[in-house]
Amino acid sequence: MAAVKETVETVGEVEKYKYGFSTEIESEKAPIGLTEDTVRYISAKKNEPEWMLEWRLEAFRRWKNMEEPTWAKVFYPTMDYQNAYYYSAPKQTAGPESLDEVDPKLLETYEKLGIPLEEQKMLAGVAVDAVFDSVSVVTTFKEKLKEAGVIFCPISEAIRDYPDLVKKYLGSVVPVTDNFFATLNSAVFSDGSFVYIPKGVRCPMELSTYFRINEKQTGQFERTLIIAEEGSYVSYLEGCTAPQRDENQLHAAVVELVTMDDAEIKYSTVQNWYPGDENGKGGIYNFVTKRGDCRGKNSKISWTQVETGSAITWKYPSCILRGDNSRGEFYSIAISNTKQQVDSGTKMIHLGKNTSSRIVSKGISAGGSSNTYRGLVSVHKKAENVRNFTQCDSLLIGDKCSAHTVPYIEAKNPTAILEHEATTSKISDEQLFYCMQRGVPEEEAVALIVNGFCRDVLQQLPMEFAVEAQKLVGISLEGSVG
Amino acid sequence: MTDATAQSFIDTFERERASLPGADGWLAARREAAVRELADAGLPHRRLEDWKYTDLRDVLEKAAFTPAPVHQGAVFLSEEDTRNGAALFHAIDRYKIVFVNGRLNRALSDMEDLPEGVVLKPFADVLGEAWTKALIERRFEINWQAQSVSALNMALMADGVALHVEEGVTLDKPVHLIFLAADDGASHMRTLVRLEKQAQATVFETHASAGAAHYFVDLVTEVSLGVGATLNHIKLQDEAEDAVHLATMRAALADEAKLDSFTMIAGGGVSRGQTFVEFEGRAAEAHVNGAYALRGKQHADQFCVVDHAVPECNSHTHFKGVLDDESQGIFQGKVVVRPDAQQTDGRQMTNALLLSRDASINAKPELEIYADDVQCAHGSTIGELDKDALFYLRSRGIDEMTARQLLISAFLDEALDYAPHEEARAELKALVAGWFEAGNLSAEDIL
Repeated sequence: MAAVKETVETVGEVEKYKYGFSTEIESEKAPIGLTEDTVRYISAKKNEPEWMLEWRLEAFRRWKNMEEPTWAKVFYPTMDYQNAYYYSAPKQTAGPESLDEVDPKLLETYEKLGIPLEEQKMLAGVAVDAVFDSVSVVTTFKEKLKEAGVIFCPISEAIRDYPDLVKKYLGSVVPVTDNFFATLNSAVFSDGSFVYIPKGVRCPMELSTYFRINEKQTGQFERTLIIAEEGSYVSYLEGCTAPQRDENQLHAAVVELVTMDDAEIKYSTVQNWYPGDENGKGGIYNFVTKRGDCRGKNSKISWTQVETGSAITWKYPSCILRGDNSRGEFYSIAISNTKQQVDSGTKMIHLGKNTSSRIVSKGISAGGSSNTYRGLVSVHKKAENVRNFTQCDSLLIGDKCSAHTVPYIEAKNPTAILEHEATTSKISDEQLFYCMQRGVPEEEAVALIVNGFCRDVLQQLPMEFAVEAQKLVGISLEGSVG
Repeated sequence: MTDATAQSFIDTFERERASLPGADGWLAARREAAVRELADAGLPHRRLEDWKYTDLRDVLEKAAFTPAPVHQGAVFLSEEDTRNGAALFHAIDRYKIVFVNGRLNRALSDMEDLPEGVVLKPFADVLGEAWTKALIERRFEINWQAQSVSALNMALMADGVALHVEEGVTLDKPVHLIFLAADDGASHMRTLVRLEKQAQATVFETHASAGAAHYFVDLVTEVSLGVGATLNHIKLQDEAEDAVHLATMRAALADEAKLDSFTMIAGGGVSRGQTFVEFEGRAAEAHVNGAYALRGKQHADQFCVVDHAVPECNSHTHFKGVLDDESQGIFQGKVVVRPDAQQTDGRQMTNALLLSRDASINAKPELEIYADDVQCAHGSTIGELDKDALFYLRSRGIDEMTARQLLISAFLDEALDYAPHEEARAELKALVAGWFEAGNLSAEDIL
């Protein structure tokens, strides 16, 4: 079974080609290393108000005394945090002029994913201004949102334009001192999205990072804050299905979601960062802290993720179910190949009455990779009638990979009904045989079975993502049989 | 880091070292090494992942046990004791080895007329034999944090039993190990079981109080099963309310060997039961099951690791428990399937019923899998008594208490069915049925 291997290999090979990506953006970099001065530099570059600088510095001072966590089942060489750049401004002229200059293999992959041409240009790093008439798209888009009263802008802009909202909510879900990587992010976050949905508004479209023009090169320490006021709804898409390259090896993002009474946030992620080469060299280290706070009654937060990239994924999108009757959901597909290491899962903290949560995690492990589900379901004493259902299934492809399940289930209230089930298996020969006997080629059969395996999660993705994600799963398995 | 409680155990060792078994032989060096290990690491505490839910260091520090004295005079079982677990299995024809305060009591024991090929002796008497040395010195390939406590036992083990069954021999009657606490204090014991090729044995284990209230039982059981050997094991833990019970069983299985172990926890203050199974040969099978019924402030932590190091082995773990009052239950299980351990079948299940507002349960069933051609699954459910079922029974004129008890026994019965001995199983079921009112077991002669 080399299916998955091949895919990720294909993708990996594609990524080896460096043309199309600028490497010479020395000029706008902050000095190497991380000191108070670096933090001041970043803050000054962004013209931030004094209070923001103080907030960052406070985080930095805390971070200096923190230790890197070691409990996750991921192994990597010790990182030298003083030998890295923490800020580099994007340069507009660095990209290729047109798609003709982009590596054809990369384009092939885009083609397979069915990504529209214009989008391909953007993904390949073609200078957007030159070829992509995005201005008009974005303008219409912004007008529509403005009409609805939705604020959707880079967080650096929000800090300047909506300081009260930012002050009120930033760090209220993931405190500055939460964990090593979140604190690091608090000190040096580069940019990210800010979304505010006013009371009673149903966001007229799905918000996507893709539409934020200045998205480029801000991925390293992303900070996202989404607030859904009473009775509002928003669906937010992050990332994209196409392989993405980034100069920075360490990524430490923080995402905070807040829902008030009757509000709902649906947050979908497709992550396909560079996973490193077949020997596990290079690749992105992705250490993400994502947390949602269901503050209001009847509120809902739903996380959906498709994780296929990165050398290391360390990510636990969580829900604090504080409001009565609130609901948390976590749907995840994690595909790992070659030497990738995934340690991902969720935390459902039940504090309010009648809160419910559902966890569906599908791990697919191939090549020499390691795939861990780590989750917590916790029911506090005063949380009456809590309901949780957890299902985590692992699929192993090949005998060099590994799959682990580490669930924590803690109940302090007798009215809780908690169910957890997990299975680990490989694609059964019977299933393969059944498909092939009906004329489905082996490779397609594997893709079919794996897609079936992931179905529960794929269905949760917004339409436009679902189609691409489904293909991504298929591609990831190409050549893995025979 | 200084750990005063570990130090107090080390002090005990320094005082008693000359009188401990094997003081003049090879074991002395092993004890020295264990003491150093204990001094370096201290007792396990909450910040170690394997001890997340049971802070043994804190528990032992608060309890401040002194060594249990050698018991003088007759052993007296109060009526209270005889109603509970201490009385169990006495109707079954068996060999009987009684330990009081962690020391063999020959007067109460009955270990005569053993069949040929069976050795059943205090382990101190057979320290010169190769198999006992091999068992005591055995190191498991994966060194779990949870195993660190075996250093404490290694340093201080003062008595215990060694059972050896030769090739092809089937022990005609169960061996019943009875551990009684007659006086307060800490006792450290070791059980060694070696079954040679195709040998078979059944071992019962009872832990109960005979008058003591505040005591610490530290037991390590080493099991080694030869090719095709079968060990059935039933353990009943019915310690006093204020007792701390720490038991570790480590079993290694050769080809086609079978271990069938069942643990019933009915009493004890803080208890931690650890089971480690390592498959060394193909097509072996391990069942590690159990049930617990907790109330008061009882705290019971079951920790179970099954290491599938070789292909084609099966393991099955199922723990069910009910928790009343302010009791706390913990199940931590782990199935490890190492690379190349293909065709493994590993199952793990835990169910808990919470009967009270203040009871709590923590479950952590883990899978760690490095091979692809395997079938592994685990499940966990937590809930309260089914209201509809309760209503159904009440609507048919059954009073609430009886109805609840019926449902609870039905719930636990499912786990008790795993107990690998028919008569013992029936007695355990009777014990559980009487869980609400501990008065309906006959209190005739006990031992």
